[in-house]
Amino acid sequence: MGWSKTLKATVAAAAMMTATPALAEVTFGALFPFSGGLALLGEESARGLEIAVDEINARGGVQGEPVVLERGDAVDNNQAIGEARRLISRENVVAIFGSYSSSRSIAASQVAELAGIPYFELGAVADEVTGRGFDYLYRLNPTAEDMGEMIIEMIVEQVAPALDIDPTELTIGILHEDSSYGTSVASHQNRFAAEAGLNIVTTLSYPANIVDMSSLVLDLKEREVDVVLQTSYQNDSVLFLRQRHEAGFEPAAIIGSGGGYSMQQTADAVGTDLIEGVLNIDFTQYVVNTEFTPGLEEFVETYRAKYGEDPRSGHSLTNYVGALAVLEAIDSAEGLEPAQIRSAVDAIDIPAGTTASGNGVWFDENNQNQRARMMGLQWQDSRLVTVHPADAAASELRLGD
Amino acid sequence: MEVFLQVLVNGLMLGGLFAIIGIGLTLIFGIVKVINFAHGEFLMVGMYAAFLLTTALDVHPYTTAIAVIPLLFVFGMLTQRFLIQPLMNARDDHIQIFVTVGLSTALINLALLVFGAEFATTPPSGLRTALEIGPVRVLVGQLVVFGAATLLVVGLTLYLNNTQFGRAIRAVAQNRAAARLMGINVNWVYIVTFGLGAACVGLAASLIAPLYPTSQTIGTYFVLIAFVVVVLGGMGSITGAFLGAMVIGLIDSFSAYYIGSDLREVAVFTVFLLILILRPQGLFGGRQTLSHVS
Repeated sequence: MGWSKTLKATVAAAAMMTATPALAEVTFGALFPFSGGLALLGEESARGLEIAVDEINARGGVQGEPVVLERGDAVDNNQAIGEARRLISRENVVAIFGSYSSSRSIAASQVAELAGIPYFELGAVADEVTGRGFDYLYRLNPTAEDMGEMIIEMIVEQVAPALDIDPTELTIGILHEDSSYGTSVASHQNRFAAEAGLNIVTTLSYPANIVDMSSLVLDLKEREVDVVLQTSYQNDSVLFLRQRHEAGFEPAAIIGSGGGYSMQQTADAVGTDLIEGVLNIDFTQYVVNTEFTPGLEEFVETYRAKYGEDPRSGHSLTNYVGALAVLEAIDSAEGLEPAQIRSAVDAIDIPAGTTASGNGVWFDENNQNQRARMMGLQWQDSRLVTVHPADAAASELRLGD
Repeated sequence: MEVFLQVLVNGLMLGGLFAIIGIGLTLIFGIVKVINFAHGEFLMVGMYAAFLLTTALDVHPYTTAIAVIPLLFVFGMLTQRFLIQPLMNARDDHIQIFVTVGLSTALINLALLVFGAEFATTPPSGLRTALEIGPVRVLVGQLVVFGAATLLVVGLTLYLNNTQFGRAIRAVAQNRAAARLMGINVNWVYIVTFGLGAACVGLAASLIAPLYPTSQTIGTYFVLIAFVVVVLGGMGSITGAFLGAMVIGLIDSFSAYYIGSDLREVAVFTVFLLILILRPQGLFGGRQTLSHVS
């Protein structure tokens, strides 16, 4: 790796000395965790970006020049910073796309901000990503706050009516792992629930590597909780779903917040019976009303042709839509200087329901895309099916008997 | 009352789980006097082996113990022979700790490379079925773990007290130099003991695999609790490890229910610190030397 990088740098340096401007191509950084524990979804996210680049190049590139992606492996926060520096100073990227992981994004975007290079976040959900007043950081995807809001909205608009009960009469228990992901989603859930007048009876946190949740399950059971909201990774999702069954705890609804609840492996691990009917909130997935997501089928076909398998999660789709919107805007910019890119991106105005993920694009003063939303999903017949909002739903919510 | 009984049973079952993992560690700790930070990763290796054998051969997860126990036994012996033994006479004992930390990190990343970040689910094969005994519910698999931990304690105690090699192991633990003068092959005793400790983890792995999804980080949680259990019980005391595990399991379960799930670790470690302040040798530890050159 070190050797090939050195070689590349040498070749690049030699090329810089001899090359003529006629050979111009536009280089963008693709900064994702490509190795380590987050590699699976990091790679999945990058695939969406690659498909967007292919599509732009097929249309003639940006401003007449072909687009090239230079990968940076953000295996941890330190390396994310190092790779961002390399992309900016050695590869001379025009802008960076990233990063799936919130902590990697927060670390790497500081480098880009100081260098004055635009950084387009396509998949990290933590509040802090856009909460820092950065000028060059834009986020295309929906956030943890949106996740909390969407869950409460789904309870009020769909779950309570399906159970034929007033939303304020439901007893709701919140269960979350205690890192920043679980804590931030749970705090948004609490806030939006309070605004909606819902009855949260308990909020329980636990470390994600927990090995026994029987006490938590017992607590929820004794409080006769109707709706359980869990924000969790895979291990703890499986553990809860199994242990609540073993303890004979039968809440009317269980709602996850992405993470472990979005993964087919979780469904396989707990089995068809236990996953059936479980609700979830996440980025747009593939079983959705395609009238709300024009271009989704083409995306899936392109994905299959390029990678020889079905998309492994909704991350590629969300990254694809975000990257495409940005690349199209840069294509119409005056030039490739950071200020020119920023003004082109600031002007993006894409309504919701017109892209392959259904997300629109319009940035607020914090450079957060205000038209990106999560969707409500339900495990039906071992597939994750969109059930909320109504205009994106592929199927009716199934709850109760 | 029903809730109290259920929390009690949950705690005992959790204790059984901690015990079966802690027994191997206390054996290595008490006799070889090496703090094996890779203990949790031994468990991970065993669980992956159990997973692979169960899915490849389509057998009951328990039957994989026939292969996993010898596998871990050999793995433990090799670790002692080629990693620990060359450092046994190092001027600074702490170097052995770093070797086991290195082994732990290497094994975690190796597992990440081989199995990826996704976790492996061994088929539960009915072991996650809840039995209703009076007012409480308990899983078949948990009862088996509890029973196996109890038998393992009895078996090992009998072995150490009543066999020639068991006596040799205890002699080495008491005084390495004297044991060598009596004609005991100390290095061989260490290798076999390390193997035995690892084999206990092998048994634990086959019993736990159907209950918990296997991931490359599964060991990191268990190893911390295993250390607490071993220190609490008195280093090297097998009965102590068992009872220490029960104490920790019960505190974990009761504090999580009656105090709050986010405070369970606070409760566990507070009690741990208190016991150590009042009884530094642990609940069942006698006076014994932890020096290598004794």
